[in-house]
Amino acid sequence: MEAIGGLLTGFGIIVTLDNLFFCLLGSLIGTLVGVLPGVGPLAALALLLPITFTMTPVGGMVMLASIFYGAMYGGSTTSILLNIPGEAASVVTCLDGHQMAKQGRAGAALGIAAIGSFVAGTLGVIVMTFFAPTIAAVAIRFGPPENFALMVLGIVCTLFMITGSPVKGALMVALGFLTAAVGIDVVNGRERFTFGSIDLSAGIELLAVVIGLFGVTEVLNNVERIVKSTLIAERIRGLWPTLADWKASWRPMLRGSGLGFLLGLVPGGGPVTASFMSYALEKRLSAHPDGFGKGAIEGVAGPESANNAAVAGSIIPVLSLGIPSNAVTALLLGALVIHGVQPGPLFITQRPDLFWGIVASMYVGNVLLLLLNLPLVGLWVQFLRIPYRVLFPVVLLLSIVGVYSANKNVFDLWVMLGFGVAGYVLSKLKYDLAPFVIAFVLAPLLEQSLRQSLAMSPDGAMILVQRPATALMLVSSAILVALMARRKPKGGS
Amino acid sequence: MKENTIVLALLSALLVTPAAAQNDDAKAELARLKPNDFPTAPIEYTVVYPAGGGMDVTARLLAKYVEKWSNDRIIVNNRTGGAGMVGHAYLATQAKPDGYTVGIIANLMWGDAMLRAQGRWTYADLEPIGYLNSDALTWVGPTEGPYKDMSVKQLVETAKDKPGTLRVATVPGSMWDYLIEQVETNTGAKVLRVPFQGGGAGINALAGGNVDIAQGFYSEFRGLADAGKVRPIGVAASERLSFLKDTPTINEALGGNEYQWFVIRFAVVPKGTPEDRKAYLGAAIRAAMKDPELVAEYLKAGVYFDPKLADPSRMQANLNAYVEAERAFYVKTGRLK
Amino acid sequence: MAALLRPPVMFERAINAFWILLGAAAAAYAWTLGLIGASGPESGLFPFLAGLIIMGAGVVLLLRSASENIVPDFPRGDALWRVLGVIAGLAFMAISIPFLGFAVAGFITMVILLRTVEKSSWWFSLALALVAIVVVVWLFGRILGMALPRGPWGW
Repeated sequence: MEAIGGLLTGFGIIVTLDNLFFCLLGSLIGTLVGVLPGVGPLAALALLLPITFTMTPVGGMVMLASIFYGAMYGGSTTSILLNIPGEAASVVTCLDGHQMAKQGRAGAALGIAAIGSFVAGTLGVIVMTFFAPTIAAVAIRFGPPENFALMVLGIVCTLFMITGSPVKGALMVALGFLTAAVGIDVVNGRERFTFGSIDLSAGIELLAVVIGLFGVTEVLNNVERIVKSTLIAERIRGLWPTLADWKASWRPMLRGSGLGFLLGLVPGGGPVTASFMSYALEKRLSAHPDGFGKGAIEGVAGPESANNAAVAGSIIPVLSLGIPSNAVTALLLGALVIHGVQPGPLFITQRPDLFWGIVASMYVGNVLLLLLNLPLVGLWVQFLRIPYRVLFPVVLLLSIVGVYSANKNVFDLWVMLGFGVAGYVLSKLKYDLAPFVIAFVLAPLLEQSLRQSLAMSPDGAMILVQRPATALMLVSSAILVALMARRKPKGGS
Repeated sequence: MKENTIVLALLSALLVTPAAAQNDDAKAELARLKPNDFPTAPIEYTVVYPAGGGMDVTARLLAKYVEKWSNDRIIVNNRTGGAGMVGHAYLATQAKPDGYTVGIIANLMWGDAMLRAQGRWTYADLEPIGYLNSDALTWVGPTEGPYKDMSVKQLVETAKDKPGTLRVATVPGSMWDYLIEQVETNTGAKVLRVPFQGGGAGINALAGGNVDIAQGFYSEFRGLADAGKVRPIGVAASERLSFLKDTPTINEALGGNEYQWFVIRFAVVPKGTPEDRKAYLGAAIRAAMKDPELVAEYLKAGVYFDPKLADPSRMQANLNAYVEAERAFYVKTGRLK
Repeated sequence: MAALLRPPVMFERAINAFWILLGAAAAAYAWTLGLIGASGPESGLFPFLAGLIIMGAGVVLLLRSASENIVPDFPRGDALWRVLGVIAGLAFMAISIPFLGFAVAGFITMVILLRTVEKSSWWFSLALALVAIVVVVWLFGRILGMALPRGPWGW
């Protein structure tokens, strides 16, 4: 098969000292960036893009790509250890990962996260190797109606994640929608809820919300209770996942890989959405949904696999069509252009060296990252032994830099603080914070694609049933909602 | 006379002539203009659009060559949000006018200044220091489906016969919208406007069969066009583009000369920047723009160099003329009093 | 009756009232943006619906809190000071970065955090803050190439 031939060519290109070095360097930087709270692959890629000017196109692209998926490996570290997301795609890992750490099982959580990332990343690249052009041709047909239906499915999945009172959960989702509306309405260019402020016209920055709601809130909760001791009171029990962990995790890993890969393909999708929906999926399918939020390893295995698979999924449209599906891949596209390469459907035939070189590097990169991250588990776990009074100021400092790095705007620090205090108060009153974040992420895409769908349809809302994929997803959402309503009497209202 | 061809011929001559003499002049001018105490820190080139986009690539290429010629360190920074609004407002109101901030922007700023700034700033708060290039808005059509071989004229006829069926991608509140509006007003056609966040997203939708006409710039559709997934059908310029010789202008198709919409990319500094630093920054950009490698890179992206703006002594006056023309459009269409 | 007046419960009722007000205000503002236009939903539709849901949820919760008693355990005494100390530190950082630059603002903030929250010794606080700031500025400035805000003294 020609794919194998191409792949072998790619390996030939990648296995040179230079390119291997760039792959390793990118993996290291990606892991570092993932670990640092708030600083994510987008910021890192934007900052490091100029460094690639002096490299060959292959070297530069390999490094940038490895930063992207490397960050998905590292992002789970602070989520699990400190309940502070390393970046937006690791928010859900906080929910169960940190609980596991509190039970002394940080090592197992970190290990499963790393292995899940490896499995998903590698599976994603394998699919990419053989099916990239075909998949791309299908993905490009995904238009606003399909996007809308997918986002509806996502919101419905969010409802599964609500643990406490459904009324409070619904309130949080609605609040997410409202907060997402602050800024400029992309559909018609009008300002909403900005009250003349330039800062607000940019919208509320996701990273500031996430770090505030999960990071600062967590710190505030902890400093209440902890005096001069370490964060985790439990003795650290073993560094590696047990057999039971494996048995529980392998299916979520596979499901997460599949789901994440598909979500990476669609516009506006990507690792963040993939992680949320994987979590909701695992909770829905689990025999013990009440265990979620209390240290269920499926809640780590699924999302961490999903976000890595989404990287491979989102790179496919870039390499096969020249179409970016999120901000990070848009940047990769720009990097190609700067290196004098014309992305587009002809890329694979015009520059097979570059295409297959990048694909091959993803295999190598995933292996490197696994070899890098597994031994680090032992190191990271030692961090938990640092007294909290020393740990938290440093972590807060890093969080501040991380949030600031998003837009270089001090206003975002106020947003972070505001959401931190709000999250602290609301968590005391037993409000679920995760649904707010998911709604906040999905709402703009949902609203935009609905209005685009209606704008492009001569028959108004009928377009939603005329297109098969859209209709299918909407019907599935309705069925899920019905199933949920039926289970509610047991869930408590 | 085809101005574009002349400009291109001149530029090619530049490429052929030993560049050394020209470039030594530029370097000498630069050294002469350099203030004593400036710069002592990296200069920030602020791009108001997301990293990886057309504007960002333009800015990064420019920065690379400015660094080469001036030996100053340039950091390219993206300040995004509100389709450029946030970055424009930052440059106009918050950036310190000390010469360490240069904005790489487009004429889309004028729309923000006149229609959306709400009195917080005007376009006079940003002073142009160098012209980069221009890009003409192009209509792109499908290569599959019922409209696949139609010209602009035929498509407009279709939109007249069957109003509200032809789907056209647009970016609300800017030239994408205005062009459609002009066509609709003049021909009586009626289309369905599908909003997107940028031209590129619309072109991707076109390739997927989700819209029937997309509007964008050459660099955005070139990859897909070369692969036969889309085809350019009309250019909103006064003459055909030299690298799209077979694509008529929309003026040819529909008559008249008012369908002219293009992006002008230029560099600005906040008002109040000291004159000597302003002159130096402008000279650095001019030096980079004379580098044949940079010109070649830009040409590859399908831009053209507007002769009215390429001449530094006439740049300011002609930019003002373009601003006034845009203002007149807004008044005529009722957007401004 | 006495139970209704206990502060934590009042707090929850106040929050519920806040939701009602917030929802109503949002819905009203969204109304002025327009709900449905010629080509479908206008800018105001989604925020309007969200506002209504928030308002409705607030009403339900307010009515319910008469019968349910979630007593939130807000901190008292030392714990309260620690929490306020963290909030004050972060606020100080946000206020002072534009004037003092990241390095100095960060240094002072870290000292505040280390001293108020866990009452670490002066020696230890200053030393740790210094090391942390130096490492962070070096890491982000040199390795990642990101410019952190400078104070009037150039760094």
